[in-house]
Amino acid sequence: MSVLELKNIIKNYPDGENINEVLKDISFHVEKGEFAAIIGPSGAGKSTLLTIMGALLSPSSGTVLLNNQDISHFSKKQQTQLRLNEIGFIFQNSDLIPYLKISEQLQFIQKISNKKPTDAIAILKQLGLGHRLNSYPNALSGGEKQRVAIARAFINQPDLILADEPTASLDSKRGREVVQIIQETVHQQDKAAVMVTHDERVLDLVDSIWQIEDGKLKKVNK
Amino acid sequence: MYLTLRELRHDKWKFSALGLIIFLIVFLVLFITGLANGLANDSGSAIKETPAETFILQKGSQARLNRSNLSKKDWQKFQNKYHNDATKLSVAQMTIQRKNNASKKTDIAYFVINQDSFLTPKTVKKTDGNQVYVSRKLESDGYKVGDSFKDSNSGKTFKIAGFTNTESYSHSPVIYLNNQQAKNILPDSNSFNAIALKNNLTKKSGYQVISKQTLINNIPGYSAEQSSLYLMIGFLYLISLFVLAVFFYIINLQKLSDFGTLKALGTNTGYLVRHVLSEMGLLSVSGILVSFLVTYLIQLKMPASMPFSLSLTTLLGTGLLFLIIALLSALLSLIKVVKVDPINTIGGNN
Repeated sequence: MSVLELKNIIKNYPDGENINEVLKDISFHVEKGEFAAIIGPSGAGKSTLLTIMGALLSPSSGTVLLNNQDISHFSKKQQTQLRLNEIGFIFQNSDLIPYLKISEQLQFIQKISNKKPTDAIAILKQLGLGHRLNSYPNALSGGEKQRVAIARAFINQPDLILADEPTASLDSKRGREVVQIIQETVHQQDKAAVMVTHDERVLDLVDSIWQIEDGKLKKVNK
Repeated sequence: MYLTLRELRHDKWKFSALGLIIFLIVFLVLFITGLANGLANDSGSAIKETPAETFILQKGSQARLNRSNLSKKDWQKFQNKYHNDATKLSVAQMTIQRKNNASKKTDIAYFVINQDSFLTPKTVKKTDGNQVYVSRKLESDGYKVGDSFKDSNSGKTFKIAGFTNTESYSHSPVIYLNNQQAKNILPDSNSFNAIALKNNLTKKSGYQVISKQTLINNIPGYSAEQSSLYLMIGFLYLISLFVLAVFFYIINLQKLSDFGTLKALGTNTGYLVRHVLSEMGLLSVSGILVSFLVTYLIQLKMPASMPFSLSLTTLLGTGLLFLIIALLSALLSLIKVVKVDPINTIGGNN
């Protein structure tokens, strides 16, 4: 069963008098336990596609099914609720909250969510951050920050994990480690994950690869 | 609150600086308010603290006691109607001096009153001869109970029988005289300045009828002092509204990307609005409480020559007004916070 399924997604932006079609009739799906990568040159619409998958943006037309529920016409409030409980985000610059200690980054998500909390400390320890629980983000290395971001994405037990260029600010060794952690966690916890990346060196770690070019998406055979 | 407390803990110096600004402004407002009230008391407490409601003055006296001159005939008219609710009042601003020391003179105000009347302060007991009750303000000039002083003009000597509260009139301490004692000092003891009434009266043909507050407002210097001080206070409120708005706006502007991330992670806007408001509220409340404390301590150390008076109601009222101003100044930041689009967190734009 697909966790996330996109059907005939079109996204237009007004561009002066013209209409700029960023996404042209895109269809996509990702299954439980599958780690998918979307690759493509910059400006191809990767980020726009990810924001639609992540309920941050509504498509101009088409349907977005998350666990078979059409979320393409959700209100802002519904989208927020959905992002909190059903989707885990890993951002390019990890985007940790600067004034929260590492353990609190996770506790905060648990606090605003009404889902049953899991053991945040155990997850952080598992990711090798046991000695960093009481540190602030600015004391962490780029790789450590990204591991915290991964823990934060998984803490609320979402069905879908979305990663936006998670290796962009890391060197190749650390970048690979981070993608490896995502891969292992996705498989262990049987989640669906989508990663947007231009880093082709990590593509051996994913289960399926999609290429986007000029607003069109097609599956690439591994 | 979860975010608020942790952010305050993490950025303690930044927020302490903002709290310090709030404290300084509130303290300045309280200090000037206290000074304005103190000067108001210093100017008119001898009138303000009486139970009189209305004052009858000579027609055309422009609400000034010293410009009004009433006669026995006038008095009888009112006495017949109001009996014990009406009484005569004469005020004379003069100078006294130590009995044998002409070089140290003190400006005072004589209040000539009937000692049985409602104008007599409760602390004044019946006296005779040359025994008089005087305002405690005279204490700061070195006068004590039992001391004698000389009226500089007439040379008549009085003895201080006791102190009343700090009643004063136009910044001068008040000395209460009865009609008998006044005879030796005032040129015409048959005429007097005004009739005080316990009742409310707005009009009486042939007289100028004014309320107690109007009379106080027309004490020389009173309105000028009060309006300039209150203008300053008003501007302080206005300035603090803008200063706090700008400071808070800048602080929140720095955090817009964090707000975007929080929204992307599923924090609803209402939560963030409450976070911003509670942050501003906590800072303001602590700044206000510290300024209460400092104002209280300063009040204990203020010299008697610097009149300062701040009632609990004024204190709490000022604090509350300031809290409202601080929260209003957060409005500008709130608009920004509400408008942050979580989309910006995707694509590494921030």
